[in-house]
Amino acid sequence: MSIVKTEQLTKVYGKGATAVTALNQLNLNIQPGEFVAVMGPSGCGKSTLLHLVGGLDQPTSGRVLLDGQDMSNLSDDARAELRRRSVGLVFQFFNLIPVLDAVENAALPLVLDGVRQSEAQQKAKDWLTRVGLSDRFSHRPDQLSGGQQQRVALARALVAEPALILADEPTGNLDSRSADEIALLLRQISSEWNRTVLMVTHDPRIAAHASRIVFLKDGTIVDETRLSDGGVSGRNNGQEQLVRAKLEVAS
Amino acid sequence: MRGVDPELADKIDHIALANGRFLQTADTNAILISNNLAQQTGLGVGDSLDLPAASGLVTFAIVGVTTGRPPQSSEELFMPLAAAQALYNLPGQINTIEARFAADSDGETVRQAVLDKLGSGFKLGGATAGSEFASALEAANYIYNMFGIIAIILGGFIIFITFRTIVVERRRDIGMLRAIGASRKTILGMLLTESLVLGVMGTGLGILAGYAMAAGLLIGMRGLIEDLMRTNIGGPSFAPWVFALSIGMGIGITLLAGLAPALAAMRVSPLEALRPSLAEVERRSASRSAIVGVVLIVIAFITLVTGSVSIASFGILLFLTGLVLIGPALVYPIARIFGRLLSLIFAREGQIAQGNLTRQPGRAAITASAITIGLSLLVALGGLLTTLVGGMGGWIDKTLGSDYLFMPQSLILGGGNIGAGPQLLAEIDAIPGVETTTTLRQATTRIDGADVQLVGIDPVTYPQVAGLIFSAGDEETVYEEMENGRLIIVNGIFAAQNRLAVGDTLTLQTPDGTQDYKVAAVAGDFLNFKLATGYISQANLAQDFHETTDLLIMVDQAAGADETAVQASLQALAPDYPAFTFYSLTEWQVEMEKTMSALNGMYVLLIILAIPSLIALINTLAINVLERTREIGTLRAVGATRRQVKRMITAESLLLAATGTLFGLLSGLWLSYILVGAMNLIGLVFPFSFSYAGAIVAIVVGLGFGILGALIPARQATKLDIVQALAYE
Repeated sequence: MSIVKTEQLTKVYGKGATAVTALNQLNLNIQPGEFVAVMGPSGCGKSTLLHLVGGLDQPTSGRVLLDGQDMSNLSDDARAELRRRSVGLVFQFFNLIPVLDAVENAALPLVLDGVRQSEAQQKAKDWLTRVGLSDRFSHRPDQLSGGQQQRVALARALVAEPALILADEPTGNLDSRSADEIALLLRQISSEWNRTVLMVTHDPRIAAHASRIVFLKDGTIVDETRLSDGGVSGRNNGQEQLVRAKLEVAS
Repeated sequence: MRGVDPELADKIDHIALANGRFLQTADTNAILISNNLAQQTGLGVGDSLDLPAASGLVTFAIVGVTTGRPPQSSEELFMPLAAAQALYNLPGQINTIEARFAADSDGETVRQAVLDKLGSGFKLGGATAGSEFASALEAANYIYNMFGIIAIILGGFIIFITFRTIVVERRRDIGMLRAIGASRKTILGMLLTESLVLGVMGTGLGILAGYAMAAGLLIGMRGLIEDLMRTNIGGPSFAPWVFALSIGMGIGITLLAGLAPALAAMRVSPLEALRPSLAEVERRSASRSAIVGVVLIVIAFITLVTGSVSIASFGILLFLTGLVLIGPALVYPIARIFGRLLSLIFAREGQIAQGNLTRQPGRAAITASAITIGLSLLVALGGLLTTLVGGMGGWIDKTLGSDYLFMPQSLILGGGNIGAGPQLLAEIDAIPGVETTTTLRQATTRIDGADVQLVGIDPVTYPQVAGLIFSAGDEETVYEEMENGRLIIVNGIFAAQNRLAVGDTLTLQTPDGTQDYKVAAVAGDFLNFKLATGYISQANLAQDFHETTDLLIMVDQAAGADETAVQASLQALAPDYPAFTFYSLTEWQVEMEKTMSALNGMYVLLIILAIPSLIALINTLAINVLERTREIGTLRAVGATRRQVKRMITAESLLLAATGTLFGLLSGLWLSYILVGAMNLIGLVFPFSFSYAGAIVAIVVGLGFGILGALIPARQATKLDIVQALAYE
């Protein structure tokens, strides 16, 4: 069964003459463990897709099934719970809480879920260690580099052990080295830790790490490509060239 | 009550009659009443009128009704001079001579000639209103001014906080202006102009509202004043300087409060405003301003020791400023302590709330300060009230501490009361079971042109039945010394106004010239604590001031006496002396408590005064929510429910309120201590007592404001659209 399934998913912003259709009857299936990158020009609806899948926003019509469950019927609180437990979100600007240190930030979904502080912090530390930040536990966001902040955000996304990680331009605000490291981590999340990753990016180099790339234009899927496993070792120039070419065609 | 010579009075100053006849030489107990009184009482010519006199009730026959003379506010009664002298037990005494100058004489020359002849014991011209009131008014005025200063500080704070909001909200706009070439000066000028315009508008509205409120109050009081004082009052009138002061203050404070945010806006760089606003942790060290704050507080404390009221008032200003400066340094430890408490209630959200405050201690301290200032008012006035009520209670117990009291329903300050002659006291003393009695007598004297009240006490019986409360001089020996020689005990206000100390010599005006009295002590009693009063022996009062009637009689019963019988016998005497009311001590205390509990209404006024702090709190929290839009979006994105976000804002608000309340308690305590100290300096000597009621009200109001203040910003935060909030810059 698909972990993410969208059916005729449509999102229209505004009304009347100024209405903009961000997603137009989009159908997408993602299987468990897949690492899917969504690409496309600005305004093609890729972030909107991520927001709808993450339950941050409501579709105009159509529906999103998460692990078979229809999200359109969920209350606001139920969707909040879903975001705490079943989805991990990663953003372009990291969006850490500035007043909390790395452990507190990473533990946030668990704390909000009512898990005991000590337990939540232990899990947060575990995940921070896994993403390579064992020496930065008590640093606050302003004491961390961009790449380190994004690792904290990844730990926060993973701490509740969700099946699905949603990443919105996770490397968009990073230098190329940090961006590669984050891309590798995302790939590791999918291949080693068996999470499903849905990532929005405009960078072909980063998209080349995914197992499937979906190209979006004007709110619909215009192309799709499966990539062979490029290996955990690093980026694959050939695949990146392929993605670039596909991207040219798609837009 | 005017005792006049029937032959001469009408010639000097014609008294118009509505009906009946004027007094005649042969009249003994004849009286003229005004038509006003005639209308009110239904009395007329031929009726009789009983008047209280020193010797009991005296019956007068009404022979005429006058048309009444403006602008006197009280009823004028005319009777033969001898009858009036009997009424007041002042045989052969006169206190006013009216004279008509010859038509061709020079008024000023004659006036001077008369004064030279009479000596300094008399004054010429119309009677002046009692300057005894001046000191009481001065004390009230002082306290009003104090609250005025605090209200202005509070207003300045709110304006400051509001301007900060404006600048934060328009940061990007300001950056844009800078990016397209506006200079720093232009930005500063723009914001200062804005605060000037707001200041002018606010001041204008404030003056209009103030005028309307005064007018409304006067309309509300008109009926009462007409009833009580027979005077018509017009609309409110303000001296030009009041307008000048309010315009100056209103605009000045607005400009001043707008200055710091305007300077901050001036420093906004074009780049800073164009890039996404990533919340920064406040890094500026709080220690330097904390040191300045501590120094200011120490100086403020020293001002209290100087003994000058105006310097001590300035000290309050220093103290509040100091508190604001050390605030940021204190926010962190306080937030930690309260945060731990709070995390018991808000397990999941308290941590973030606490972090939000400690991240920006400066801003938190400013908001907390707004609450602090509002609440310190509450605590200060609470302290003042408790001190007054407690102090007065002590004063009542000591200085009116007899078992029974005969006293006038209202003491007419500065003379004019009908006292009782020796018969009443003799009758009381004759009652079986009465052990000791003592009386107070009253006269008025002048010192350096100002009226001063004299109270005559019996140096032997007064300390047995009651006693003054001493702040200087030897209580053990002073009464005995008063028996021999001219000694005077002055009360606090009197001493403070004339800078008197024990051992000084006072020259008092008597009807027969001046007399020197030596100051033996500084002490006072409850009835006269707000009037400049000197206490001398009744023997001296009789000799120098010819005053022998008793105005207040205190009665102690013997141990083991039949209380009901004593009380019944005393009560039976009362009807003969209608000028007096009979009280047992408990009745009198109940009466006083009623009066003083009315003071508690002041708390309501204070809570209203604290409302601006609530507005400031809402304001800061709202900016806080605005600045943290992205963070709140993130929280929601990682799974916080609307309720959790709301609880976070509430927790934060409670933390701020708790901090502000703590500061408020401290500074309020200080403020009330200064107010009590200031009262001591002007002679109202009360021991300071802590206001538990004020403290509790302040805590309840403070924390209540914390919850109330969070309502609007919390709603604003929960309504945020997550996707938009995440994209918010």
